[in-house]
Amino acid sequence: MLLGLQAGVHNLPFIPVFGFLDSDYLRIRPDLKILKDPYTGIEYVVVPPIMPDWAVIHATRGDRNGGITTLSTRNDRLLAMASRKTIAVVEELVEPDQVLPGLHEVYVASVHIDAVVLAPGGAHPTGCPGRYDIDAAHMAAYVTAAKDESSFQKYLETYILAPRDHKDYLEKVGFKTNGK
Amino acid sequence: MENKNIHPSERMIGAIARLLKNGERVATGTLSPIPAAGCFLAKYTHAPELELLIYGDPENRLSEGFHELFGLAQQGKIDVFFLSGIQIDQRGSVNLSVLGDYRKPSLRLPGGAGSSMLYAMSGRTILFTNNHNRKLFVPKTDFVNATGFDETGITPWRRGGLSHVVTPLCVMAFDLSRKQIILDYVFPGITVAQVVENTGFDLAVEGREIPTIDPLSETDLATLRGPVQAKMRQAYPLFARTIWGAETASE
Repeated sequence: MLLGLQAGVHNLPFIPVFGFLDSDYLRIRPDLKILKDPYTGIEYVVVPPIMPDWAVIHATRGDRNGGITTLSTRNDRLLAMASRKTIAVVEELVEPDQVLPGLHEVYVASVHIDAVVLAPGGAHPTGCPGRYDIDAAHMAAYVTAAKDESSFQKYLETYILAPRDHKDYLEKVGFKTNGK
Repeated sequence: MENKNIHPSERMIGAIARLLKNGERVATGTLSPIPAAGCFLAKYTHAPELELLIYGDPENRLSEGFHELFGLAQQGKIDVFFLSGIQIDQRGSVNLSVLGDYRKPSLRLPGGAGSSMLYAMSGRTILFTNNHNRKLFVPKTDFVNATGFDETGITPWRRGGLSHVVTPLCVMAFDLSRKQIILDYVFPGITVAQVVENTGFDLAVEGREIPTIDPLSETDLATLRGPVQAKMRQAYPLFARTIWGAETASE
Protein backbone atom coordinates (compact mmCIF):
# COMPACT_ATOMS: atom_id res chain seq x y z
CA MET A 1 0.00 0.00 0.00
CA LEU A 2 3.06 2.21 0.24
CA LEU A 3 3.08 2.27 -3.54
CA GLY A 4 -0.54 3.47 -3.40
CA LEU A 5 0.71 6.42 -1.34
CA GLN A 6 3.56 6.87 -3.81
CA ALA A 7 0.98 7.08 -6.61
CA GLY A 8 -0.90 9.58 -4.44
CA VAL A 9 2.20 11.73 -4.07
CA HIS A 10 2.46 11.99 -7.87
CA ASN A 11 -1.28 12.11 -8.51
CA LEU A 12 -1.00 9.03 -10.76
CA PRO A 13 -4.21 7.20 -11.76
CA PHE A 14 -2.80 3.82 -10.68
CA ILE A 15 0.49 2.10 -10.06
CA PRO A 16 1.69 -1.45 -10.87
CA VAL A 17 2.92 -3.54 -7.95
CA PHE A 18 4.83 -6.79 -7.52
CA GLY A 19 3.08 -9.53 -5.61
CA PHE A 20 -0.68 -10.04 -5.11
CA LEU A 21 -1.19 -11.76 -8.50
CA ASP A 22 -1.22 -15.26 -7.02
CA SER A 23 -2.79 -14.24 -3.68
CA ASP A 24 -6.34 -14.19 -2.29
CA TYR A 25 -6.31 -10.38 -2.23
CA LEU A 26 -7.76 -10.52 -5.74
CA ARG A 27 -10.84 -12.33 -4.35
CA ILE A 28 -11.61 -9.68 -1.72
CA ARG A 29 -10.31 -6.43 -3.16
CA PRO A 30 -12.28 -5.37 -6.25
CA ASP A 31 -10.09 -2.27 -6.54
CA LEU A 32 -7.07 -4.43 -7.40
CA LYS A 33 -6.97 -4.94 -11.17
CA ILE A 34 -4.71 -6.84 -13.52
CA LEU A 35 -3.04 -4.94 -16.34
CA LYS A 36 -0.66 -5.98 -19.09
CA ASP A 37 2.65 -4.15 -19.25
CA PRO A 38 2.54 -2.50 -22.71
CA TYR A 39 6.30 -2.91 -23.07
CA THR A 40 6.73 -6.59 -22.15
CA GLY A 41 3.23 -8.05 -22.21
CA ILE A 42 3.69 -9.34 -18.64
CA GLU A 43 0.68 -9.00 -16.34
CA TYR A 44 0.83 -7.05 -13.09
CA VAL A 45 -1.61 -6.12 -10.38
CA VAL A 46 -2.30 -2.38 -10.34
CA VAL A 47 -3.60 -0.44 -7.35
CA PRO A 48 -5.35 2.92 -7.17
CA PRO A 49 -3.62 5.92 -5.61
CA ILE A 50 -4.12 6.59 -1.90
CA MET A 51 -4.78 10.28 -1.27
CA PRO A 52 -6.17 10.69 2.25
CA ASP A 53 -8.24 13.81 2.92
CA TRP A 54 -6.37 14.20 6.17
CA ALA A 55 -3.20 12.77 7.64
CA VAL A 56 -2.26 13.24 11.27
CA ILE A 57 1.37 12.51 11.99
CA HIS A 58 3.44 12.68 15.15
CA ALA A 59 6.63 14.65 14.55
CA THR A 60 9.59 15.56 16.70
CA ARG A 61 9.88 19.31 16.09
CA GLY A 62 8.26 21.96 13.99
CA ASP A 63 8.23 25.69 13.33
CA ARG A 64 5.39 28.18 12.93
CA ASN A 65 5.61 28.01 9.13
CA GLY A 66 4.97 24.25 9.12
CA GLY A 67 8.42 22.84 8.52
CA ILE A 68 8.90 19.72 10.64
CA THR A 69 11.28 16.89 11.41
CA THR A 70 9.89 13.42 11.89
CA LEU A 71 11.15 9.89 12.48
CA SER A 72 12.87 8.27 9.52
CA THR A 73 11.75 4.75 10.46
CA ARG A 74 8.18 5.72 9.70
CA ASN A 75 6.54 6.64 6.40
CA ASP A 76 5.25 10.00 7.61
CA ARG A 77 6.81 12.11 4.87
CA LEU A 78 5.22 9.92 2.22
CA LEU A 79 1.89 10.16 4.02
CA ALA A 80 2.12 13.95 4.37
CA MET A 81 2.99 14.33 0.68
CA ALA A 82 0.14 12.06 -0.47
CA SER A 83 -2.56 13.62 1.72
CA ARG A 84 -4.67 16.64 0.81
CA LYS A 85 -4.20 18.08 4.31
CA THR A 86 -1.74 17.12 7.02
CA ILE A 87 -1.70 17.95 10.71
CA ALA A 88 1.66 17.50 12.42
CA VAL A 89 1.58 17.01 16.18
CA VAL A 90 5.03 18.03 17.42
CA GLU A 91 7.06 17.48 20.57
CA GLU A 92 8.72 20.92 20.38
CA LEU A 93 8.15 24.23 18.64
CA VAL A 94 11.43 25.71 17.38
CA GLU A 95 12.67 28.55 15.16
CA PRO A 96 12.70 27.75 11.41
CA ASP A 97 16.52 27.55 11.29
CA GLN A 98 16.38 24.91 14.04
CA VAL A 99 14.15 22.46 12.19
CA LEU A 100 17.12 20.19 11.57
CA PRO A 101 16.72 16.42 11.34
CA GLY A 102 18.81 14.55 13.91
CA LEU A 103 19.68 10.87 14.05
CA HIS A 104 16.81 8.76 12.64
CA GLU A 105 14.89 11.84 11.52
CA VAL A 106 13.90 13.42 8.20
CA TYR A 107 12.78 16.93 7.23
CA VAL A 108 9.34 17.54 5.75
CA ALA A 109 8.87 20.90 4.01
CA SER A 110 6.15 23.26 5.18
CA VAL A 111 4.36 23.03 1.80
CA HIS A 112 3.12 19.56 2.86
CA ILE A 113 2.00 20.59 6.36
CA ASP A 114 -1.24 22.47 7.02
CA ALA A 115 -1.18 22.70 10.79
CA VAL A 116 1.38 22.25 13.53
CA VAL A 117 0.03 21.30 16.95
CA LEU A 118 2.38 21.58 19.90
CA ALA A 119 1.77 18.63 22.21
CA PRO A 120 4.79 17.31 24.11
CA GLY A 121 4.14 13.69 25.00
CA GLY A 122 1.51 13.62 22.26
CA ALA A 123 2.38 10.10 21.15
CA HIS A 124 1.43 8.62 24.53
CA PRO A 125 0.64 5.75 25.18
CA THR A 126 2.88 4.83 22.24
CA GLY A 127 6.46 6.04 22.36
CA CYS A 128 8.54 8.70 20.66
CA PRO A 129 11.98 7.06 20.25
CA GLY A 130 14.75 8.98 21.98
CA ARG A 131 12.27 10.96 24.03
CA TYR A 132 10.00 8.49 25.77
CA ASP A 133 9.21 4.78 25.55
CA ILE A 134 5.93 3.04 24.96
CA ASP A 135 3.85 3.04 28.15
CA ALA A 136 3.47 -0.75 28.21
CA ALA A 137 1.33 -0.75 31.37
CA HIS A 138 -1.10 1.78 29.91
CA MET A 139 -1.26 -0.12 26.61
CA ALA A 140 -2.05 -3.33 28.50
CA ALA A 141 -4.74 -1.52 30.50
CA TYR A 142 -6.24 -0.20 27.26
CA VAL A 143 -6.25 -3.65 25.64
CA THR A 144 -8.06 -5.06 28.67
CA ALA A 145 -10.51 -2.16 28.75
CA ALA A 146 -11.25 -2.51 25.02
CA LYS A 147 -12.53 -6.08 25.47
CA ASP A 148 -16.07 -5.08 26.35
CA GLU A 149 -18.29 -2.07 25.89
CA SER A 150 -18.69 -1.02 29.54
CA SER A 151 -15.00 -1.15 30.42
CA PHE A 152 -14.22 0.67 27.16
CA GLN A 153 -16.71 3.41 28.08
CA LYS A 154 -15.05 3.69 31.46
CA TYR A 155 -11.64 4.05 29.79
CA LEU A 156 -12.99 6.73 27.46
CA GLU A 157 -14.50 8.59 30.40
CA THR A 158 -11.37 8.42 32.54
CA TYR A 159 -8.67 9.19 30.01
CA ILE A 160 -10.29 10.92 27.04
CA LEU A 161 -13.41 12.77 28.18
CA ALA A 162 -12.55 13.72 31.78
CA PRO A 163 -9.12 15.38 31.30
CA ARG A 164 -9.49 19.14 30.74
CA ASP A 165 -6.62 19.26 28.26
CA HIS A 166 -3.53 17.43 27.08
CA LYS A 167 -1.53 18.47 30.15
CA ASP A 168 -4.26 17.13 32.41
CA TYR A 169 -4.25 13.85 30.43
CA LEU A 170 -0.47 13.50 30.85
CA GLU A 171 -0.79 14.06 34.58
CA LYS A 172 -3.57 11.51 34.83
CA VAL A 173 -1.53 8.80 33.04
CA GLY A 174 1.64 9.66 34.97
CA PHE A 175 3.61 10.56 31.83
CA LYS A 176 7.41 10.48 32.10
CA THR A 177 10.05 11.33 29.51
CA ASN A 178 13.54 9.80 29.27
CA GLY A 179 14.90 12.69 31.32
CA LYS A 180 14.76 15.07 28.36
CA MET B 1 27.35 -21.63 31.48
CA GLU B 2 25.57 -21.13 34.76
CA ASN B 3 22.28 -21.61 32.97
CA LYS B 4 22.41 -24.42 30.46
CA ASN B 5 18.63 -24.56 30.12
CA ILE B 6 18.15 -23.58 26.54
CA HIS B 7 15.00 -21.69 25.65
CA PRO B 8 13.32 -23.04 22.47
CA SER B 9 13.65 -19.56 20.95
CA GLU B 10 17.41 -19.71 21.51
CA ARG B 11 17.63 -22.92 19.50
CA MET B 12 15.62 -21.24 16.73
CA ILE B 13 17.98 -18.26 16.80
CA GLY B 14 20.91 -20.66 16.34
CA ALA B 15 19.15 -22.41 13.46
CA ILE B 16 18.45 -19.10 11.71
CA ALA B 17 22.05 -17.94 12.18
CA ARG B 18 23.28 -21.09 10.43
CA LEU B 19 21.09 -20.40 7.42
CA LEU B 20 22.77 -17.04 6.77
CA LYS B 21 25.89 -16.78 4.64
CA ASN B 22 28.72 -14.31 5.02
CA GLY B 23 28.33 -11.26 2.77
CA GLU B 24 24.58 -11.48 2.35
CA ARG B 25 22.27 -8.51 2.86
CA VAL B 26 19.57 -9.57 5.28
CA ALA B 27 16.50 -7.63 6.39
CA THR B 28 13.94 -8.22 9.12
CA GLY B 29 10.51 -6.63 9.45
CA THR B 30 8.40 -5.64 12.44
CA LEU B 31 7.75 -8.11 15.27
CA SER B 32 10.63 -10.35 14.24
CA PRO B 33 12.80 -10.72 17.35
CA ILE B 34 13.95 -14.29 16.65
CA PRO B 35 15.16 -13.49 13.11
CA ALA B 36 16.83 -10.31 14.40
CA ALA B 37 18.72 -12.29 17.05
CA GLY B 38 19.62 -14.94 14.45
CA CYS B 39 21.08 -12.22 12.22
CA PHE B 40 23.14 -10.74 15.06
CA LEU B 41 24.37 -14.20 16.08
CA ALA B 42 25.45 -15.00 12.51
CA LYS B 43 27.26 -11.68 12.23
CA TYR B 44 29.09 -12.18 15.53
CA THR B 45 30.13 -15.75 14.63
CA HIS B 46 30.60 -17.12 11.10
CA ALA B 47 29.36 -14.20 8.99
CA PRO B 48 31.11 -10.95 10.00
CA GLU B 49 30.37 -9.33 6.64
CA LEU B 50 26.65 -9.93 6.87
CA GLU B 51 24.89 -6.66 6.05
CA LEU B 52 21.97 -6.23 8.43
CA LEU B 53 18.85 -4.14 8.04
CA ILE B 54 17.17 -4.91 11.35
CA TYR B 55 13.96 -3.00 11.94
CA GLY B 56 14.10 -1.54 15.46
CA ASP B 57 17.89 -1.70 15.78
CA PRO B 58 19.11 1.84 16.64
CA GLU B 59 22.33 1.18 14.71
CA ASN B 60 20.40 0.35 11.56
CA ARG B 61 20.24 3.53 9.52
CA LEU B 62 18.11 3.56 6.43
CA SER B 63 17.24 6.91 4.89
CA GLU B 64 13.51 6.71 5.36
CA GLY B 65 10.59 4.42 5.90
CA PHE B 66 9.54 0.97 4.83
CA HIS B 67 9.15 2.02 1.22
CA GLU B 68 12.91 2.22 1.03
CA LEU B 69 13.25 -1.42 2.13
CA PHE B 70 10.50 -2.39 -0.32
CA GLY B 71 12.37 -0.62 -3.12
CA LEU B 72 15.57 -2.47 -2.25
CA ALA B 73 13.72 -5.80 -2.31
CA GLN B 74 12.10 -5.01 -5.66
CA GLN B 75 15.51 -4.20 -7.12
CA GLY B 76 16.84 -7.55 -5.95
CA LYS B 77 19.02 -6.00 -3.27
CA ILE B 78 17.68 -8.02 -0.32
CA ASP B 79 19.17 -11.52 -0.19
CA VAL B 80 17.20 -12.86 2.77
CA PHE B 81 13.95 -11.80 4.44
CA PHE B 82 11.82 -13.34 7.19
CA LEU B 83 8.08 -13.86 7.44
CA SER B 84 5.67 -15.66 9.70
CA GLY B 85 1.96 -16.37 9.64
CA ILE B 86 -1.01 -17.60 11.58
CA GLN B 87 -1.23 -20.45 9.06
CA ILE B 88 1.41 -21.93 6.78
CA ASP B 89 0.59 -24.65 4.27
CA GLN B 90 2.48 -27.41 2.52
CA ARG B 91 3.28 -25.18 -0.47
CA GLY B 92 4.68 -22.48 1.80
CA SER B 93 1.79 -20.04 1.40
CA VAL B 94 1.26 -17.83 4.42
CA ASN B 95 -1.90 -16.44 5.96
CA LEU B 96 -1.60 -13.22 7.95
CA SER B 97 -5.20 -12.02 7.60
CA VAL B 98 -8.04 -14.19 8.89
CA LEU B 99 -9.02 -17.57 10.29
CA GLY B 100 -12.15 -18.95 8.70
CA ASP B 101 -14.23 -17.23 6.03
CA TYR B 102 -12.85 -13.81 5.07
CA ARG B 103 -16.23 -12.09 5.53
CA LYS B 104 -17.05 -13.82 8.81
CA PRO B 105 -13.70 -14.72 10.33
CA SER B 106 -13.22 -16.30 13.75
CA LEU B 107 -10.05 -14.20 14.04
CA ARG B 108 -8.91 -11.14 12.13
CA LEU B 109 -5.29 -9.99 12.12
CA PRO B 110 -3.64 -6.77 10.95
CA GLY B 111 -2.96 -8.33 7.53
CA GLY B 112 -0.16 -9.07 5.15
CA ALA B 113 1.49 -5.65 4.78
CA GLY B 114 4.32 -6.05 2.25
CA SER B 115 4.53 -9.83 2.62
CA SER B 116 3.16 -10.66 -0.83
CA MET B 117 5.85 -8.59 -2.54
CA LEU B 118 8.70 -9.39 -0.12
CA TYR B 119 8.11 -13.17 -0.34
CA ALA B 120 8.36 -12.88 -4.12
CA MET B 121 11.16 -10.33 -4.44
CA SER B 122 13.64 -11.20 -1.68
CA GLY B 123 16.37 -13.60 -2.74
CA ARG B 124 15.03 -16.16 -0.32
CA THR B 125 12.67 -16.12 2.62
CA ILE B 126 12.91 -17.96 5.91
CA LEU B 127 9.64 -18.51 7.77
CA PHE B 128 9.69 -18.59 11.57
CA THR B 129 6.93 -19.56 14.00
CA ASN B 130 6.47 -19.45 17.77
CA ASN B 131 4.49 -22.70 17.76
CA HIS B 132 4.45 -25.95 15.90
CA ASN B 133 1.02 -27.53 15.69
CA ARG B 134 -1.71 -28.58 13.25
CA LYS B 135 -3.59 -25.31 13.62
CA LEU B 136 -0.57 -23.50 12.23
CA PHE B 137 0.77 -26.03 9.71
CA VAL B 138 -2.31 -26.77 7.63
CA PRO B 139 -2.86 -28.51 4.27
CA LYS B 140 -4.27 -25.28 2.82
CA THR B 141 -4.39 -21.81 4.39
CA ASP B 142 -7.79 -20.13 4.85
CA PHE B 143 -6.41 -17.06 3.10
CA VAL B 144 -3.30 -16.66 0.95
CA ASN B 145 -1.47 -13.38 1.55
CA ALA B 146 1.73 -14.51 -0.05
CA THR B 147 3.00 -17.57 -1.87
CA GLY B 148 6.29 -19.41 -1.42
CA PHE B 149 7.01 -19.99 -5.09
CA ASP B 150 5.60 -19.39 -8.57
CA GLU B 151 3.37 -22.44 -8.75
CA THR B 152 1.37 -21.37 -11.78
CA GLY B 153 4.04 -19.55 -13.74
CA ILE B 154 2.10 -16.27 -13.74
CA THR B 155 4.77 -14.25 -11.95
CA PRO B 156 7.84 -14.32 -14.22
CA TRP B 157 9.24 -11.31 -12.36
CA ARG B 158 9.46 -13.29 -9.16
CA ARG B 159 13.03 -13.36 -7.75
CA GLY B 160 12.91 -15.87 -4.93
CA GLY B 161 10.79 -17.63 -2.37
CA LEU B 162 10.69 -20.02 0.53
CA SER B 163 13.95 -21.60 1.61
CA HIS B 164 13.38 -22.82 5.19
CA VAL B 165 10.88 -22.88 8.04
CA VAL B 166 12.25 -22.63 11.57
CA THR B 167 9.97 -23.69 14.45
CA PRO B 168 10.47 -24.51 18.14
CA LEU B 169 10.76 -28.20 17.16
CA CYS B 170 12.74 -28.37 13.96
CA VAL B 171 13.98 -26.88 10.72
CA MET B 172 12.02 -27.65 7.58
CA ALA B 173 13.16 -26.94 4.04
CA PHE B 174 11.35 -26.13 0.84
CA ASP B 175 11.96 -28.87 -1.73
CA LEU B 176 11.61 -27.42 -5.21
CA SER B 177 11.33 -30.81 -6.94
CA ARG B 178 8.51 -31.94 -4.67
CA LYS B 179 7.09 -28.38 -4.55
CA GLN B 180 6.47 -28.72 -0.82
CA ILE B 181 7.89 -28.22 2.65
CA ILE B 182 9.82 -31.24 3.92
CA LEU B 183 11.43 -31.97 7.28
CA ASP B 184 15.14 -31.09 7.31
CA TYR B 185 16.31 -31.82 10.87
CA VAL B 186 14.94 -31.93 14.41
CA PHE B 187 16.32 -30.22 17.51
CA PRO B 188 17.74 -32.25 20.42
CA GLY B 189 15.04 -33.89 22.52
CA ILE B 190 12.52 -33.76 19.67
CA THR B 191 11.48 -36.85 17.71
CA VAL B 192 10.53 -37.01 14.04
CA ALA B 193 7.23 -38.60 15.11
CA GLN B 194 6.51 -35.58 17.31
CA VAL B 195 7.02 -33.21 14.37
CA VAL B 196 4.93 -35.35 12.03
CA GLU B 197 2.15 -35.53 14.60
CA ASN B 198 2.09 -31.75 14.98
CA THR B 199 2.14 -30.94 11.27
CA GLY B 200 -1.06 -30.95 9.26
CA PHE B 201 0.57 -32.08 6.03
CA ASP B 202 3.00 -34.73 4.82
CA LEU B 203 6.67 -33.81 5.40
CA ALA B 204 8.10 -36.52 3.11
CA VAL B 205 9.96 -38.24 5.93
CA GLU B 206 9.24 -41.74 4.54
CA GLY B 207 12.50 -43.44 3.59
CA ARG B 208 14.65 -40.45 4.55
CA GLU B 209 17.09 -40.30 7.45
CA ILE B 210 16.18 -37.18 9.44
CA PRO B 211 19.11 -36.07 11.61
CA THR B 212 18.98 -34.52 15.06
CA ILE B 213 21.09 -31.36 15.07
CA ASP B 214 21.78 -28.84 17.80
CA PRO B 215 22.25 -25.58 15.90
CA LEU B 216 23.61 -23.86 19.00
CA SER B 217 27.21 -24.73 19.96
CA GLU B 218 28.76 -23.72 23.30
CA THR B 219 30.43 -20.71 21.67
CA ASP B 220 27.20 -19.79 19.89
CA LEU B 221 25.37 -19.86 23.20
CA ALA B 222 27.98 -17.65 24.85
CA THR B 223 27.80 -15.16 21.98
CA LEU B 224 24.01 -15.27 22.03
CA ARG B 225 23.80 -14.58 25.75
CA GLY B 226 26.59 -12.01 25.54
CA PRO B 227 26.78 -9.47 22.68
CA VAL B 228 23.60 -10.64 20.92
CA GLN B 229 21.61 -10.26 24.11
CA ALA B 230 22.99 -6.73 24.54
CA LYS B 231 21.86 -5.81 21.01
CA MET B 232 18.46 -7.38 21.56
CA ARG B 233 17.91 -5.37 24.74
CA GLN B 234 17.97 -2.27 22.51
CA ALA B 235 16.05 -3.57 19.52
CA TYR B 236 13.56 -5.88 21.27
CA PRO B 237 13.58 -5.12 25.02
CA LEU B 238 10.37 -7.05 25.78
CA PHE B 239 11.56 -10.17 23.97
CA ALA B 240 14.96 -9.96 25.69
CA ARG B 241 13.29 -9.76 29.10
CA THR B 242 11.11 -12.77 28.29
CA ILE B 243 14.03 -14.94 27.21
CA TRP B 244 16.85 -13.75 29.43
CA GLY B 245 15.09 -12.06 32.33
CA ALA B 246 15.57 -8.56 33.67
CA GLU B 247 18.78 -6.83 32.63
CA THR B 248 20.46 -6.63 36.05
CA ALA B 249 19.94 -10.33 36.75
CA SER B 250 21.74 -11.49 33.62
CA GLU B 251 24.57 -9.00 33.14
